[in-house]
Amino acid sequence: MPTVSLEVKAVSATTTPAPGMKEAPRVAKLIDVSSCIGCKACEVACQEWNDLPPSVDRPFTGSYQTMPDLQWNFWQLIKFREVLHQDGRLEWTMTKYQCMHCADPGCLRACPAPGAIVQYANGIVDFVQENCIGCGYCITGCPFDVPRLNPQTGKVSKCTLCSDRVAAGLEPACIKACPTNCLSFGTKEKLLQIAHRRVEQLKERGFTKAGVYDPPGVGGTHVIYVLPHADRPEDYGLPKDPKVSWTLKLWKGPLKWLGRLIVFGGILAAFVHYLRFGPHRVREEDTGK
Amino acid sequence: MADRDEIQRFTMAERLIHWAVAISFVYLVLSGLALFHPSFYWLAYVLGGGPVIRQWHPIVGVLMFVFLTAMYLKWRRDMKLDDLDRRWLRQVHKYIRHEEGVPEAGRFNAGQKLLFKTMTLMGVLLLLSGIPLWFPMRFSRNLREWSILVHEVAALVAIGGLIAHIYMGTAVVRGSMRAMLTGWVSRAWARAHHPRWAREFERTS
Ligand code: SF4
Ligand code: SF4
Repeated sequence: MPTVSLEVKAVSATTTPAPGMKEAPRVAKLIDVSSCIGCKACEVACQEWNDLPPSVDRPFTGSYQTMPDLQWNFWQLIKFREVLHQDGRLEWTMTKYQCMHCADPGCLRACPAPGAIVQYANGIVDFVQENCIGCGYCITGCPFDVPRLNPQTGKVSKCTLCSDRVAAGLEPACIKACPTNCLSFGTKEKLLQIAHRRVEQLKERGFTKAGVYDPPGVGGTHVIYVLPHADRPEDYGLPKDPKVSWTLKLWKGPLKWLGRLIVFGGILAAFVHYLRFGPHRVREEDTGK
Repeated sequence: MADRDEIQRFTMAERLIHWAVAISFVYLVLSGLALFHPSFYWLAYVLGGGPVIRQWHPIVGVLMFVFLTAMYLKWRRDMKLDDLDRRWLRQVHKYIRHEEGVPEAGRFNAGQKLLFKTMTLMGVLLLLSGIPLWFPMRFSRNLREWSILVHEVAALVAIGGLIAHIYMGTAVVRGSMRAMLTGWVSRAWARAHHPRWAREFERTS
């Protein structure tokens, strides 16, 4: 079970209820994209705190971005993007990108290994590597394309929202390192208030489409954004309408029932058939006896 | 040669292929069920643990596909459905209730032929959908989502077929198991279960 002393709310591939005795305030991280300066202090803090070896295994591609993508040992990334607006203006966006800690995590739904993914009562979704079998189903289940497989160990990893720090009453390392207050941490209720206030400010300054990114398709997330152009999350490298996919729901819902019906129903049907009709008899005259 | 009352039903090669498919398929069913639903996860521990079955399931899957291909090539001609077989299928309720009036079967009855075709088709689907699940990082998310669905549905059909096959082969048609192990059946058995085949055999011998 998880090594962090947080109350567990949901466990992957488990038919018995999770402990869920204690309620905990739901935490959240707020990323105010409008005040990110792309300094990458959060990236460094994440690597340091989580003791992740930096891997410089591919050439730099002439981008400000540290890595082309997330990796099993690189859990958060400032995405640098050049966006051409319709009126011809060019905008340079910098967006912190990591696990969103979904309220309805597709990764946890998809995982077949009991206890490999847990969701704490405070909303953090954590991978428990010792229970992971490396099947990669979480990668398929995640609408944000976050988990990464370490080919050497066959285990997946991703941002933990510093569940170890949070359990000890500290804020996540990235929050601590941010010099501009672009990042903040607290209860989700409070951060939503702050976010909406910030959106009002932005609107006053002419960002009429400013808004909060807290996608309902995954039940809301515990990492929320203030986006100056919330009508186009793609400009920031965020999916427009992330959802737990219907294939995943079908596969983890009706198909599971159908499967058990076929296995147990099939065996039962064979048994009842035998009781009713018995074996095929070879007639006496055929045996020649 | 065994005594005159015995007919050879399966050659050594046929039996080997059948059991190679059978054993690999049973491993695939058990390890697959472990990942299919948590109530079967104990099977993972029996088979060496989750990471072990994650590693071996696809390898055994490829092996089984090779055996299945051999089986297909071996039996493909014997498994063609003819008109009598189609009549057999319309009378299948009588066969199930062991009643008279079921058209006579050849070397294989129409049920066996259908099972053979179904299993071959499922084998192809399972292989194709299994590859993206084997190497998730090499394929798009969309393809993996579809692969999981196809893999599960095909596996369920195949498991249904397996249950029926084991039940028929061990409990209902007594003597089948011996046929698949030793290769030989009695003439009476052949006449009772596969009369067209028995007659053909008598004509040629
Ligand atoms: S973003 Fe992906 S990995 Fe993170 S909780 Fe949501 S589904 Fe899981
Ligand atoms: S790779 Fe690990 S965490 Fe992801 S679904 Fe498979 S067992 Fe679960």
